Amino acid sequence: MNDAAFVALLAASVVAGVPIALAALGELLAERSGVLNLGVEGMMLIGAVVAFQVGNSSGSLWLSLVVGALAGGALALVHAVLTVTLRASQIVSGLSLTIFGTGLATFVGKSIEGLPLATDFRPVAWEPLADLPVAGPVVFDQDPIVYLTVVLSVAITWYLRRTRAGLSLRSVGESPATADSMGIAVARLRYLHVVAGGVLAGAAGAYLVLGQVPAWSQDGTTSGLGWIALALVVFASWEPMRVLLGAFLFGFSRQLNFYLQAKGVDVPAELLSMLPYLLTIVVLVVWGSRDLRRRVGAPAALGLPYVRDER
Amino acid sequence: MRLRLERRLEQRWWHAVAAPVGAVVAALAVGAVFLAIEGFSPLTVYRELFKASFTSAFGITDSLAIATPLVVTGLAAAVAFRMNLFNIGAEGQLYAGAIGGAWAGLALGPHLPAPLAVAAVLAASAVGGLVWALPMAVFKAWFGTSEIITSLMLTFVAQYLMRYLIFGSRSYWRDPESTNFPQGRKIAEAAELPQFGTYRIGWGLVVVVAVAVAVWALIRFTSVGFDMNVVGTSPEAARYAGISTVRVVLMGLLLSGALGGLAGGIEVAGRAHALDPNGLELGLGFTGIVVAALARYNPFAILLVATFLGGLRNAGVALQTLPGARVPVEVSLMLQGAILLFAIGAEIFVRHWLRLVRSGLGPAAGAGLSTAADPGEPVGPAGRAEVTA
Repeated sequence: MNDAAFVALLAASVVAGVPIALAALGELLAERSGVLNLGVEGMMLIGAVVAFQVGNSSGSLWLSLVVGALAGGALALVHAVLTVTLRASQIVSGLSLTIFGTGLATFVGKSIEGLPLATDFRPVAWEPLADLPVAGPVVFDQDPIVYLTVVLSVAITWYLRRTRAGLSLRSVGESPATADSMGIAVARLRYLHVVAGGVLAGAAGAYLVLGQVPAWSQDGTTSGLGWIALALVVFASWEPMRVLLGAFLFGFSRQLNFYLQAKGVDVPAELLSMLPYLLTIVVLVVWGSRDLRRRVGAPAALGLPYVRDER
Repeated sequence: MRLRLERRLEQRWWHAVAAPVGAVVAALAVGAVFLAIEGFSPLTVYRELFKASFTSAFGITDSLAIATPLVVTGLAAAVAFRMNLFNIGAEGQLYAGAIGGAWAGLALGPHLPAPLAVAAVLAASAVGGLVWALPMAVFKAWFGTSEIITSLMLTFVAQYLMRYLIFGSRSYWRDPESTNFPQGRKIAEAAELPQFGTYRIGWGLVVVVAVAVAVWALIRFTSVGFDMNVVGTSPEAARYAGISTVRVVLMGLLLSGALGGLAGGIEVAGRAHALDPNGLELGLGFTGIVVAALARYNPFAILLVATFLGGLRNAGVALQTLPGARVPVEVSLMLQGAILLFAIGAEIFVRHWLRLVRSGLGPAAGAGLSTAADPGEPVGPAGRAEVTA
């Protein structure tokens, strides 16, 4: 554990886990309301490209983060209109959102490809805690978004378990008809949470350029993180704290590649890159099976449009 | 006053045509906004787009060349989606099919006469796609694991596997003479799909049209196709009829995977002539989902939609070299996404219409724009199956 490279690996895993956690927390909110959104990847890319442009033109980190997040939310609004109001298939709509978001982001991002970003999030060292062995660099020397993500996970847990709004949200995801008869505005709640999910996905994308690699590249920026976030929600059985832990685990498996290369372990990079995806499948098969699903807490109405009958 | 969605009392034939056409027009309008923001003239871009793809013989045949694999990936998505099985991993199945097809072209191609060698490539690619779809199908059929996530994760695995075979190792597929710039080994000439003269299209086009007809016939006339339709439209009814859902789900997903793999074989035999990661990673599998959804899962409509999207993609490439204004190739991906979003939004207006109602009268007071339909009306792809069948 005193191995400096290993400590660096752990610290990097935390940073790598943050965008996955943010995107997955957003998806968790949408799914808890009963709406599956497969557009995470597209919303992240839009968030990233918008944050990059705002960052370079304004120089303000927080403004870039907020505008990037809002761009993700705007894309999510399209999904909400299509699936909640127009009753389109959530799967087809989400996929189209990813295709549109990817296309738009790469089109708009063409002019900034290869450019450096003028500003990025820097770690804040918590003296004297940052000097502790292992825990220092891993826990007490990270950038603000890392801590914000942890706070957010706790807040969402509290929101779901302890607040009236959270209870309404859960009831909409479990049984919209019952919620409706209790006077809960199903459509409004779904709209709100789908858009909130998009905002978090946009923020996740923004963090990729503002906190990780300060450059924009068409396929390097998200490299499928949005899809991993989707899988993580199932992996975490729709619980925010498990999402956070799972995200760090996925972050670790993505960073392992660089660590082993630095150690001179001769494993082909392509094979190591497969790891997170294979891990996801294994986890899904073990945790996500039909019988277990009910026990692990999948929202019962997930994926189903709610249509109040009219005669 | 509020807007309310109501079911149409009469459904006319042109409603089904107006929806997708309106979607294309609306998408072009949205695309125009973004083109203008980026400093391009939308009218010039759209005119050049049309000219590049649909006016000259070479333009049309180039569009058809791109449409060729899209037909098969479109069929792959359609077969699964109409059963409410969302295999979104045709992309990965295409890579696996390319690996299988290239193997047959290298190992069997030199020893077989031309038509047989081509057949071997295509068959091996279908098997490759089927094998790649196997975990997804098995986990879905027996454990109920979400096929959406497994098929997608396997796509990334297939992509890295293909790159590993060419860039990361001295595999059987890699050209041993290419050391600085690793490349795939060329398959035997007998295993290539012959082209029509100097045009870039060839027998691949004939093959995919035949496959489309075969898929249509399978759905329409066979008992397997019937079972698939029943499971797709009403799993309840299927259970009462004694249809084994496990068997039908397995068959649907494996057929979908085999079709995805076949697309890889057609690319290897018809265009790439080697396992070429750079030439194969074009998103053909993902675009197949767009093709299938726009065609409302109908095999013949898939032929038309694939040609249209093939033209759009081909034009995207042509636009890059537009004198005066180099429009990024990604513009076609953006337009595709926009068309798809509008198309699925317009879908509901085929059977519903908007009506202004005075507030407080409807039972659905409260929500701004309420949604209403007959209870039990099939929603989603299953509902569309009856239009296409």
